[in-house]
Amino acid sequence: MDALFAVKHSYLIPLLPLIGAIIAGAFGAKFLRGNSHWPIWIGVAISAVMSLSLLFGMVGFWHEGKPLNIVVDWYTWIEAGSFKATAGCFFDSLTAVMLCVVTGIGFLITVYAAGYMKGEEVYFRFFAYLGLFIFSMTCLVMGNNFIMLYLGWEGVGLCSYLLIGYYYERPSAVAAAKKAFLVNRIGDFGFGLGVMLIFLTFGTVSYFGTGVGTHTGVLELATLPLDQLSQIPGVNTSWVPMAMKWTPFLLMLGAFGKSAQFPLYVWLPDAMEGPTPVSALIHAATMVTAGVYMIARCGTLFVSNGAAMTTIAAIGAFTALLAATIALRQFDLKKVFAYSTISQLGFMFVGVGCLAPVAGVFHLVTHAFFKALLFLSSGVVMHAMSGELDMRKMSGLKRVLPKTHIFMLVGCLALSGFPLFSGFFSKDEIVAAAFGRSTFLGVVMLFTAFLTAYYTFRLYFRVFRGPLMVPHPPHDDHSHGSHDHHEEHHNHEPTLMMLPLALLTIGALLAGYFNFPTAHLGDFLGTSPSLTASYEMAVEHTVAVPHLAEGYGQVAEAGAHEPMISGLMVFSGLISIAGIFAAYVLHLKNRRLDDKLAEDLGPLTRLLEAKYWVDEIYQAAIVNPLRALGEFSYRFDRWIIDMLVNMSGWICQLAGFFLKFTTQRGYLQGYGAAMLLGLAVILIMVFMH
Amino acid sequence: MQLLALQHYLAIGAILFVIGLIGFITRRNMIVIFLCTELMFQGVIINLVAFSRYTNNLAGQAFVIFILVIAASEASLALGLVILLFRTKNTLDADAWRELKW
Repeated sequence: MDALFAVKHSYLIPLLPLIGAIIAGAFGAKFLRGNSHWPIWIGVAISAVMSLSLLFGMVGFWHEGKPLNIVVDWYTWIEAGSFKATAGCFFDSLTAVMLCVVTGIGFLITVYAAGYMKGEEVYFRFFAYLGLFIFSMTCLVMGNNFIMLYLGWEGVGLCSYLLIGYYYERPSAVAAAKKAFLVNRIGDFGFGLGVMLIFLTFGTVSYFGTGVGTHTGVLELATLPLDQLSQIPGVNTSWVPMAMKWTPFLLMLGAFGKSAQFPLYVWLPDAMEGPTPVSALIHAATMVTAGVYMIARCGTLFVSNGAAMTTIAAIGAFTALLAATIALRQFDLKKVFAYSTISQLGFMFVGVGCLAPVAGVFHLVTHAFFKALLFLSSGVVMHAMSGELDMRKMSGLKRVLPKTHIFMLVGCLALSGFPLFSGFFSKDEIVAAAFGRSTFLGVVMLFTAFLTAYYTFRLYFRVFRGPLMVPHPPHDDHSHGSHDHHEEHHNHEPTLMMLPLALLTIGALLAGYFNFPTAHLGDFLGTSPSLTASYEMAVEHTVAVPHLAEGYGQVAEAGAHEPMISGLMVFSGLISIAGIFAAYVLHLKNRRLDDKLAEDLGPLTRLLEAKYWVDEIYQAAIVNPLRALGEFSYRFDRWIIDMLVNMSGWICQLAGFFLKFTTQRGYLQGYGAAMLLGLAVILIMVFMH
Repeated sequence: MQLLALQHYLAIGAILFVIGLIGFITRRNMIVIFLCTELMFQGVIINLVAFSRYTNNLAGQAFVIFILVIAASEASLALGLVILLFRTKNTLDADAWRELKW
């Protein structure tokens, strides 16, 4: 099994981007300057090649019938008492797929970013952060224990913060960065507690311990019944029922923060203050999917807890619907895509929550392609329009940006779930899983899919079709990078930016066929011990759910595979087309009709445009009370506690003031006499005894 | 029988020490104060020598040599300081430096 180069030298995958980041960070300012992207390019490219070779190698093993699951420990990282965390990785199909998404799409985006960020003053800083991000993200998906997961989890949070605040001269960017960091902190707090609870209960933080099947890691211990657990040293048996009840909720909180689910989604729309490649990489394709990965990975901790699974599915569906409705009345291109990302993440959570992690991860993969494509395309639009992103001010850009138009069209079709595009297949699997769980959930997801198609094509028809209208160039607040626009006016679509877009377009077109017509991706993912074990648990613990085996990529015992083209598939395809048609009528054929409709639905329009006042409600209900508490604490500290401390100082000062005039008068002889007196007293006391 | 017993040496030492002490407490002149501390030193040293001879232990006498060396170097330092202090205030009165307590 060690035959794979990527397994033998697994440490290179996170290390190379990190080295690239260090080189770019250390030498970028003075020496590399405009070439700062090279160390990152090289590092991430090698990582991506290794990840792909890993994936292909693993697929090869899988075809031979002996799928690869291997624990690699690099070195002991932390050892304190019974606590032990290794720096190491775990390779299975889930890790391989996630690694390919992270490094592959990461590489394409770094290539694009070199074109996009050209001429920036602190060019190297951007690439140093980007390398650091890819290091953290690979740690997150590769790690073989919860501490590595936590390291990656916090690392990507930090990079997200740094990159959102990249334009730190802009107050809005600073505020957005802070908001992202603080909101994530709420989630990470829960996540940290969850990891601690896991350690206290199972006595280890490793996923699979020394190897799959040895029952030495948390994820396998969680599958054992209590009487067997009690014989394993280190396991705190009395805590197990409590831990199985609460850990999923704590971990879930972390997932909701990182993956921008209700009620912690508010940071993601603001995160669009960051440069567009960052929005594409971190806030659409990779980091925000960490929560989905984590729940799929820790399936055995979740599956036996029906309440937790229901919560995940319910929150996912609610977030999907909420964000999709908000996206209906957004006018900023990137904001539309941000809400769309939240909504699509909601879909993924419905997938994992409805016992179909394969569907969730499948959607994660296709979404990574088409959402990165959409963000990067809107980055091209943003450059061409001198930083303007308001879709009311532009129209008919098809003529100005012909290539981008094609890319955007493919991305929009994939996002809206147009038949035969990648998003169609993955979304359909999730909707099917939702129907398997509850009809109501399925209907909600279908309605959300309709809204998705509508708002996606609203954007497309507004921006790329219709009469040509280009906004007046530059008025600032978005003016970053506008200094280099003189040369770019001749070419809005430089090759360096178009090439990654073309590759992503191919991905957005074809990624759906990983899992259709035969579920290759699903069956491959099914070899992951995480999924196998949680499938066995799911069979035990839940009432019969149709397609359960497919949801976990397992071979159904009944044998008969359902026909892949179901009535539901046709119906969801029709729904997507209906959404696109509605957008066509309202935003291309008769744009005035849309304005009229918005006016007729006055209060509803205002509700959506104000994003349900969620930010304002948070401000009033949470931020302001907290701030008042902080103000109170500050005053209490300042006037009560400091007063007490100062008072003890004053007492000493006062005592000194008196002593200065009584004993310490400054006469040398006086001191000598006092010493003599003291000596006499001591001698007398000694002799008296 | 010895002409001089241990007590005689100790008495001399004590007398020297007390003279030094009284001088230290009563005099104002910095040089005299300093000489008085030296006098107290000598009183202590005589004790050491006397006990050393009484117990036939040379450690005490070795100690005395050390003390003398240190006292000599310290004396040069202290006299230097006294000269500096004198130059600043043009007086040798120790009370002139009372403000050092602030």
